[in-house]
Formats: sequence, C-alpha cells, structure tokens
Amino acid sequence: MALIELNNVTKAFDSNVILQGTNLTVNQGEFVSIIGYSGSGKTTLISLIAGLQKPTSGEAKFNGEVITGTGLERGMVFQNYSLLPWLTVEENVALAVEAAFPTWGAAQRAEHVAKYVKMVNLSHAAKKFPKELSGGMRQRVSVARALSMEPKVLLLDEPLSALDALTRATLQDEISAIWEATRTTVIWITNDPDEALLLADRVIPLTPGPAAKLGPEILVPLPRPRDRKTIGASKEFKALRAELVDWLIAAKGAQRTTLTRKFVLPDILPEDLTTKNSLQFLQRRGPRRRYEVNAEEVEVTQA
Amino acid sequence: MKLLHKLKLESLLLPVLALLACGLIWQMIAGSNVTVTKVDDWGDKVTTTKRVGLSQDLPTPVETWTASKSYITEPFAKRGELDQGILRFTWLSLKLVAQGYFLALLVATPLGFFLGLSKTFTKAFDPLIQILRPVSPLAWLPLGLVLFSGVKVLDAAGRTTFGASDAASLFTIAICSMWPTVMNTAVGVRAVPQDYLNVAKVLKLSKGKTLLKVLLPATLPYMFTGFRLSLGIAWLVIVAVEMLTGRPGVGGFLWQQYNASSYAHIILCILTIGVVGYILDRLMSVVEGRFKTA
Repeated sequence: MALIELNNVTKAFDSNVILQGTNLTVNQGEFVSIIGYSGSGKTTLISLIAGLQKPTSGEAKFNGEVITGTGLERGMVFQNYSLLPWLTVEENVALAVEAAFPTWGAAQRAEHVAKYVKMVNLSHAAKKFPKELSGGMRQRVSVARALSMEPKVLLLDEPLSALDALTRATLQDEISAIWEATRTTVIWITNDPDEALLLADRVIPLTPGPAAKLGPEILVPLPRPRDRKTIGASKEFKALRAELVDWLIAAKGAQRTTLTRKFVLPDILPEDLTTKNSLQFLQRRGPRRRYEVNAEEVEVTQA
Repeated sequence: MKLLHKLKLESLLLPVLALLACGLIWQMIAGSNVTVTKVDDWGDKVTTTKRVGLSQDLPTPVETWTASKSYITEPFAKRGELDQGILRFTWLSLKLVAQGYFLALLVATPLGFFLGLSKTFTKAFDPLIQILRPVSPLAWLPLGLVLFSGVKVLDAAGRTTFGASDAASLFTIAICSMWPTVMNTAVGVRAVPQDYLNVAKVLKLSKGKTLLKVLLPATLPYMFTGFRLSLGIAWLVIVAVEMLTGRPGVGGFLWQQYNASSYAHIILCILTIGVVGYILDRLMSVVEGRFKTA
C-alpha cells in the first residue's frame, strides 16, 4: 500500500524551478533513500513530504490524503540536528512526546522518553544540554525525538552529513539496527552512495538542479542484516554502486555541457616577498596591476 | 611574573593615573578662596574673601569632599525632606526607577514580540516608534502631567499618596526607557533560527506553546540586552524627572543644591549617579550572561 505518493510535483520559488514533475511512491515499511548532489533540491523534496512547504503544482499525498501541513505521523530529523539549546536531551525528547501524546500522564510520558533516550544509547547524557554533546550524540537525540512520536514515516534530511566518517559509520549501524527492530517507513536523504546502498531497500537518484527530477530507482536486494565489513566487498554491492555512481556522474555531465564558464584572472601581478630590506615600507610599492606594466614594443628589422 | 606585572599595571595603575590626571585638571580649573585684607577709605581694616580661578565657582576636589563628607559618612540620615544622606536619596531614586522600568518592560516586551512576529504590525507602527524614540524625557514629562492631571490617590488621612506628578514621573521613565527593549525584542524574534520554527511546526506545537517553548527562550538573550540598555536609560531619565517635579532623590537634590549655590553637592550627585549607573549595568550584564544559550 502506498503510504506516500508524489504525483507530478513541481516546486518553484518565483521563476527558480527546484523540482520539476517529480513522481514518487513509498510503501508501508519501506526504507527508501534519495541521493543527489548538494543543492539539487533534496531538502525541498523532503520538506514537501513533511508539509513544511507546499508544492507549486501537482500533489503530495500521505496515506491517501493530500498533505496540507506538518503532521505528527511524519517524524523529521534535520541535517543540523535542530535541537533546542535551552532544553536538555530529555526535555527535547519530552517536547515531542508531549506533542504526540497529549492525553498521557506525566509518568507514562517520562517512561516513554526514557525508552527512546535509551534506544539511542544516551541514557547517561539524558540531563545534558545539546552544547555539551558531540555532533553524533546530538543527531542521536534528534533521531530519538523523531522516533518518540511513533510516526508512520521517518523523514531524515541528510542526517549524518555533518558528522565525521567514523561517527557516521557507527550511527548508520545503530539507526539500521533500530529500523530493523521497528520497521517504520523511512525516507532517507543523503549524498553518500555507500550510505544509501548500505541502508536502503530502494535508492532513487535525483538529477542535479535546477529543475531536478527523480531518476530511475535502483533496488537493493542485499540480505539484512547487512554487515558493513563484508558487504563492501560483495560483487552485488559493487555492481550496484557502480550503476548508481555512473548514473549520477552521467547526470552531472549532461548538466555540465549547458554551463559556460568564464574565468577572469585577477588584475594583479605577483610580488617578490623574499627580498629583505630594512626599509621595506619605503622601498616596496606594493602589488602591481597588470595594466601598470610598462611593456615596450621594439620593432627590429633584420637586415 | 611579567604577566602579573603587566596585568596589574593595566587594570589598576592606568585607571588610577587617569583619575589623578582628571583630578589635576579639575584642581587647575577650579576656583579657590583668596582672602584680601586692606584698609578702606575710612581707615578700617576690611577682610574680603573672593574666589579666583578659571572657573571661580567650581569647588576644588578638597572642597567638594569637605562639603559632601556628612552626606557620605551618614548615608542614611534624614535631616529634612531635601536634606538626606546620599544613599537614602539613591534609594528613593532607585525605587522610582524600578517602578517606571518594570512598567516599561511590561509594555515593551509584548510590543517587541508583535513587531517581530507581524510584518503588518511593523509596517504600521515602525514609523511612529522611530519618531517617538528620540524624544527627550524633558519633553515627555509635561505631557505626562497633562495626561494624568486627574490622578489622585488619597490615604486614610487625606494626604495624596500618588498624584499627577508621580504618574507623570512613571510615565516619563517608562516611555523613555522602553525603546531598547522594544527594538531588541523585535530583532530577537526576527532572528529566531528557521530550524527552531521548523521543529515547532513538525511537532505541531500550538501557537501558545510555540511562543513559550521556542520563541521566548530563543529571544531571551536579545531581550536581556534590551533590558540592560533600558535600565541604563531609566536611570538617565530619573535626574530630569526629579529636577522637573522636585521629588526628593539624587536628581532632585542636585537641582536643589544648584539653586542653593551649594555647588560641591552637584559633583557629589553626579558621581553618585555615575557609580550607581555603573553598578546597575554590571548587575544586568551578569544576569544577561546567564541567559546566553547557544
């Protein structure tokens, strides 16, 4: 059953077309990854699904109904964590729990918060403020916040892009394990082909913007749980990776031919800084401009 | 060692040197008493004392100290309505400032929020605010007196406890000191990162909850900068208000002593106002620092 549907969705800001005629169907329980270059409209795409933005034309549907705004059944994890700095880890999660389950009592809420803080391995830091945490820990809080709402779909907008490679790998594994336990529908935006193939059932590339479109999807039939140590060496993974990367590079190449670039050199000549002189400020006159060079043309007539 | 030496030199010695230099200049331009004894046309010995100097009537530092000593050594004495110890005067002024200041915050904070949240509201009221902002307290006070001319609260004995001049004083302090809070709050609300607002939207927080849990905490550092500047202005305005209404307080005392040709006390008042203003500012900046979040 299609949980999320985009029908011919176009998003433009004034005359600046970001997404053009995008179609997407995501089924219940699927892990879909959307991959694209930075600036290609990935964030816009997920904002449309989250309901933070409205499509210019076409329609975005969730559970068969047109998306008109944000909803608690769509949890979102932002690239820059977006934790509220004046709330502790617990309080950040509690804010979401309170919003999602307003009828619950205080004890039930607290228990729920503790459960999700524990799920992302942050029980020891529950009372800490975001500024006391590392980037990876902050993003875990953000994941816990989104999951604690028990959404029908989890939208992640480049969740690990701001992290270092080692932390990223750890978090990929952790989130993957959580997903296998909960099997929530996930739309994961990324710019890392390995990450996309490691995590997702389906990878959909996005053409470089402006007017980005979704490209042909690549199914990832690799068995789960996927072990990053062995999977990278497998033939299937390599083939999928090659297919994906080739498509992305080809898409970028097609784009590039339409670009004309003109390099303008700065009008300045290099200065010799090696000469030592005690009265530098008197002697040196600073950088010269090209047009200041006195070039004398001498015509020599050979006899 | 060198660092310590340097530290001491810079933070202690230099201000003292500057102070001494200013004191010297003060001493140089201040007048001094010269007693002349001469024999007049009738053969009597006449002793006349007159002041000479660049600014004859300006008391020297020593004269200022001698004249002010009793006000400082007995800071809480009350010898009369307009003859009280300097801290007692300061307390009276501070009480008035506090009332006017809280009135200002009460009005300015919501106003700032409206300005920050609504573009229409900003467009409508911004020109008016920009025009009213630079108006001097001296101009507001008469308007306040007119505006609140009917205000009269009597106590059991039939004495006025809160009259038109009290209302006008509060009005003047409030209206003059509210602008920094208004402007800073508005800027703060506009500067709330879109990320936080997105979080509020994704969590479907109600308008009230968004205000309390997201907007207010995110704006707090800006608001406190406004509060600090506002307090500075409120303290500045107090002198003008007390001068015009003749209320007992540091400013009222200053004006009264000018009229009584007791110039040393003017300097005492100026120094008191300066020191108190400085302490208030330091206190507020400590509070402000507490609320810096991100």
